[in-house]
Amino acid sequence: MNNDIPVQTLGGQGEVMAHAVDACVHCGFCLPACPTYALLGDEMDSPRGRIVLMKEVLEGGLPLLDAAPHLDRCLGCQACVTACPSGVPYGELITAFRGWSEPQRQRSPLDRAKRAAILKILPAPKVFSVAARLGQFAKPLAPALPAALRSPLDLLPESVPAMQPSAAFTPARGVRRGRVAFLVGCAQQALTPNFNAATLRVLSRNGIEVVIPDGQGCCGAAALHTGARDEALKLVRANLNAFNPDDFDAILSNAAGCGAGLKEYPMVLHGEPDEARAQAFAAKVMDISEYLGGLLADGTLEPTLPASRPLKVAYHDACHLAHAQGVRAQPRDLLRAIPGVTVLEIPEGDLCCGSAGTYNLEQPELATQLGARKAKNILSTQPDLIASGNIGCHTQIQSHVRRQGDRAPVMHTIEILDLAYRGEL
Amino acid sequence: MSTEKLALTTNSGARKPASAGGAHNSLAAELTRLLGPRKVLSNLSERLNYRYDAIQFGATPLAVVLPESTGDVVAAVRAARAAGVPIVGRGAASGLSGGAAPTEPGLVISFTRMTRLTIHPERREAQAQAGVITLAVSDAARPHGLIYPPDPASFRTSTIGGNLAENAGGPMCFKYGVTGDYVRALSFVDADGEEHHVTRDAFDLAGLLIGSEGTLGLITEATLRLIPPATHTRTLMAHFPEVGACAEAVSAAIAAGAVPSKLEFMDRACTNAVEDYLNLGLPRDAEAVLLVDTDGDDLNTVQDELQLVADACERAGGTVRRAATDAEGAALWRARRSVSPALGRIRPQRMNEDIVVPRSALPDVVREIRALGDASPFRLVQFGHIGDGNLHPNILFDPRREDTHAVHDLAHQIALVAIRHGGVLSGEHGIGSMKRDFMTDAVDPGTLKALWNVKRALDPHLALNPGKILPAEGVNG
Ligand SMILES: Cc1cc2nc3c(=O)[nH]c(=O)nc-3n(C[C@H](O)[C@H](O)[C@H](O)COP(=O)(O)OP(=O)(O)OC[C@H]3O[C@@H](n4cnc5c(N)ncnc54)[C@H](O)[C@@H]3O)c2cc1C
Ligand code: SF4
Ligand code: SF4
Repeated sequence: MNNDIPVQTLGGQGEVMAHAVDACVHCGFCLPACPTYALLGDEMDSPRGRIVLMKEVLEGGLPLLDAAPHLDRCLGCQACVTACPSGVPYGELITAFRGWSEPQRQRSPLDRAKRAAILKILPAPKVFSVAARLGQFAKPLAPALPAALRSPLDLLPESVPAMQPSAAFTPARGVRRGRVAFLVGCAQQALTPNFNAATLRVLSRNGIEVVIPDGQGCCGAAALHTGARDEALKLVRANLNAFNPDDFDAILSNAAGCGAGLKEYPMVLHGEPDEARAQAFAAKVMDISEYLGGLLADGTLEPTLPASRPLKVAYHDACHLAHAQGVRAQPRDLLRAIPGVTVLEIPEGDLCCGSAGTYNLEQPELATQLGARKAKNILSTQPDLIASGNIGCHTQIQSHVRRQGDRAPVMHTIEILDLAYRGEL
Repeated sequence: MSTEKLALTTNSGARKPASAGGAHNSLAAELTRLLGPRKVLSNLSERLNYRYDAIQFGATPLAVVLPESTGDVVAAVRAARAAGVPIVGRGAASGLSGGAAPTEPGLVISFTRMTRLTIHPERREAQAQAGVITLAVSDAARPHGLIYPPDPASFRTSTIGGNLAENAGGPMCFKYGVTGDYVRALSFVDADGEEHHVTRDAFDLAGLLIGSEGTLGLITEATLRLIPPATHTRTLMAHFPEVGACAEAVSAAIAAGAVPSKLEFMDRACTNAVEDYLNLGLPRDAEAVLLVDTDGDDLNTVQDELQLVADACERAGGTVRRAATDAEGAALWRARRSVSPALGRIRPQRMNEDIVVPRSALPDVVREIRALGDASPFRLVQFGHIGDGNLHPNILFDPRREDTHAVHDLAHQIALVAIRHGGVLSGEHGIGSMKRDFMTDAVDPGTLKALWNVKRALDPHLALNPGKILPAEGVNG
């Protein structure tokens, strides 16, 4: 799309944005993939429409305030990236745009306080754990609360377990075949510590030793995608210092959102001195299912014990795994490798579940509609188990599946593998 | 210089009104009063997004209506008429001739929320509102053992309303026909806001609406014919060291009696654009690639037909590869469907031609167009539904660095090649505003006058999609 984005004055992030706008031929192939377009049926809430809006704002032809409601409704799910044949890096555009525009936004004091709180609490697992448990007590009060306060409570799972810090080093069981670094994540540590415990057990079982480097922190994705670029940069740099890519075969994450965030580091630092470091780092980043899927493909994955009975597993593609990282086959292959497991495909599988980071908090209405639609689609397959590879999807799907009266367990792919290894599936 | 030439660039700045419209404009206010705020868009941020289709940016509308029923359309048309502003219908805006891009500020009626769809298996019919996505018709028909054959490459995005308005075709149309061949009846709202239901008999008013690009009426609903799918399909790909040879093979195969269900061609630049995107293992060095499906209920006949095509290809110097599995066939067709947008990776803008020539002229036409492209400073690529003689020569360009007038001139040269060989300007994408200037080359003055008479009869105020299809009266006529 032809444009007059003033790249000279916008710097590295301006180049990122102008490149994406250039690449769009406004063919509209992305429209049917977009969840907000599916719900609202208007062009401003479609990927193509948002690209035009961002272009107009960057060119100075449209006030940011006018475009903001439509840009805010974007889930960042990147389904449009999968659908786009012209290779438009929409994810980079919206992320860079949010970073550029946030400092110019005028937000209400309540809004600002809420955002600040989220950004403070999310990356600090200990604080999050306490907050989550406080929230747990408040949950019975939820129906009486105003929507702005109710929505964060909806995000919380049924029970919030105690924090379990992970060991800094987990040795390989048997012959050592590899050495990886692991990003423990933030919110997930507090909400679902078993994801990490299962990850360490499964890797160790496969002869992989795992290091949890000191000094690592939140991946920065939440800050980045809400436009808090300065905070994000601090987190990015801390992780670049904590992980030396030369020391490991891979840098693993078991949260799709975090993995996608880590892979974005080169874009975040485009045109800055650390860009090369970020590239070396990102080249080593893999999702846990991508890494184990590699072992499976090589024929070197340790076989699991069979499931105790035939199990139908509905696999939900987390947007940040399927669309942002292109990881679709590996989690399914891993599940299918467990004797007795059948993997079910979910209707409208490419449609976001509505969780999308802090979306539940910012756009509770759309998030709820999408969550309900996802749960309905999942339950239509009549699964024994529901699997996904992302903490956000996990809580969202769990909450909506329960609301629709179904008790099917919702688990991380790695938890299912772990159970199978232990003969408990 | 015509406005169409200027509008070849997507640089919207020149045509963007700073203040017209907005919450204060009276048309938007009246529409909101009639229809409620949910269905009316009046903010600049909203209206800016209803000024383009897949090829062109036009004027920013004063207001946009998203109707949810025919009643909403009627109310919107009447309000626009009362305000004396033009009305442009819009589907998914995947059009490739500027059809949905307004040439002047007015009302845009976007049908994307009118998506009611019912299948009547006993009558083999689908009843679809204008905003139903093409793919949705096939998806809904499939469980009843039926299909909807018109399949433009944009079928995941485009709407039935847009398909009807453009009389969209697709790879299947050589054997199965185009959108218009599947329309039994339709409903439309005329320029005065009257609703009509028409079938294919008497004056075949439905036929007149089909392909009229929103210039004669706004289609609100259609009754579409469905058919059972063929039991067997076989796919082959052939590649050729020269484009003309590919066209010769096609003519020979058809002359020998083959009626393939799909017959598509793409040249080397297309193949490479798709390879860059999908990495399917297509032959990057071939000058032309031909994709062919034969289908039917008797496997022997299907295979015999494929053999006829294979023989013709080999005689013309081509190399033939048969798809071993359905998945391989599907991958090849995915390649073809992705050509058009994958070209966006090469240059940000393109001028998309849509000529149709007699099949016997194909070898000469593709060679002449290739030569025109080679002699020009632009990247020119060709692909299309070669079985129908429907070719899409595309000129790829960068409006910031390349001369858009020279692009327009080259497009004109291409149109003249088609006309010289007894062809026409549009097979399926419509004339829109992109090829309106060429109409005076293609249609004699008397016929143009007749077309104007039809237009006046159905749209006496010239309110519906002005600036499309028909060149201004008096121009060369
Ligand atoms: C990548 C790509 C590939 C394509 N491949 C093909 C192909 O293979 N074959 C093909 O035929 N086309 C193809 N097209 C062109 C386009 O998709 C078709 O013309 C399609 O029919 C347009 O449908 P739409 O809903 O997007 O209509 P729009 O682009 O929104 O509108 C098209 C025209 O129809 C009018 N219109 C829309 N809705 C109505 C209505 N309800 N009543 C009256 N008028 C209306 C508009 O005013 C406009 O003139 C392709 C486009 C792209 C981007
Ligand atoms: S599919 Fe890609 S090129 Fe087409 S409109 Fe969407 S982003 Fe632009
Ligand atoms: S990222 Fe998702 S929500 Fe945002 S525009 Fe793309 S498809 Fe739509």
